[in-house]
Amino acid sequence: MLRLLPAAVLALAAPLALAQQKGDPDAAHRNKIAMCIGCHGIPGYKTAFPSVYHVPKIAGQQPGYIVNALKAYKAGERSHPSMRGIAASLSDQDMADLAAYYGVPAK
Amino acid sequence: MKRILFVVLALSLSFSAQARGNAESGKAKAAQVCAACHGPDGNKPSAPDQPVLAGQYYDYLVRALSDYKAGHRNNPIMKGFAAQLSKQDIEDLAAWFSSQKSSLHDQR
Repeated sequence: MLRLLPAAVLALAAPLALAQQKGDPDAAHRNKIAMCIGCHGIPGYKTAFPSVYHVPKIAGQQPGYIVNALKAYKAGERSHPSMRGIAASLSDQDMADLAAYYGVPAK
Repeated sequence: MKRILFVVLALSLSFSAQARGNAESGKAKAAQVCAACHGPDGNKPSAPDQPVLAGQYYDYLVRALSDYKAGHRNNPIMKGFAAQLSKQDIEDLAAWFSSQKSSLHDQR
């Protein structure tokens, strides 16, 4: 019975793992964060358009939320013009990589 | 004269950097509405796709809540909650969450 347990756990966990695309932080660091750091890499940086406020801290955010936010910008469910433009250029894999680079799952 | 100018400048800078909402009122409102999903201090999201709010910039939190309320962000769950918040509620909540500690930071 005990021997069956790991298999049962795997069988249950597999669909969960598939639901979330696996991100590669190194791939993000090599050639994907260039478009993020101009705003999100500067402490205290503010937006200039359409209104002025601090760009959010994204490092240390939950990876799943980062992916959701990027997808929402891409789909037009969030309205910020710069982020819509940038997110529109990202594939699902890009988003997963960026989330793996910046994100830390909350405990 | 120079010293007075410096003091005035320092004061105006510290005022502009200060949050306008009331963090203590925000704490009480957060406990009623936000805590179930985001944690009492905004640092314990109950699901992997929910954001950490603790330590986020005050004006960004105000912006995000205002956008949900106005429909500029289209999230069914947050739209419902934000719709019930007044401008004062939003500023109080932002003051509370932005003053809490978390792992959020600016990073290249």
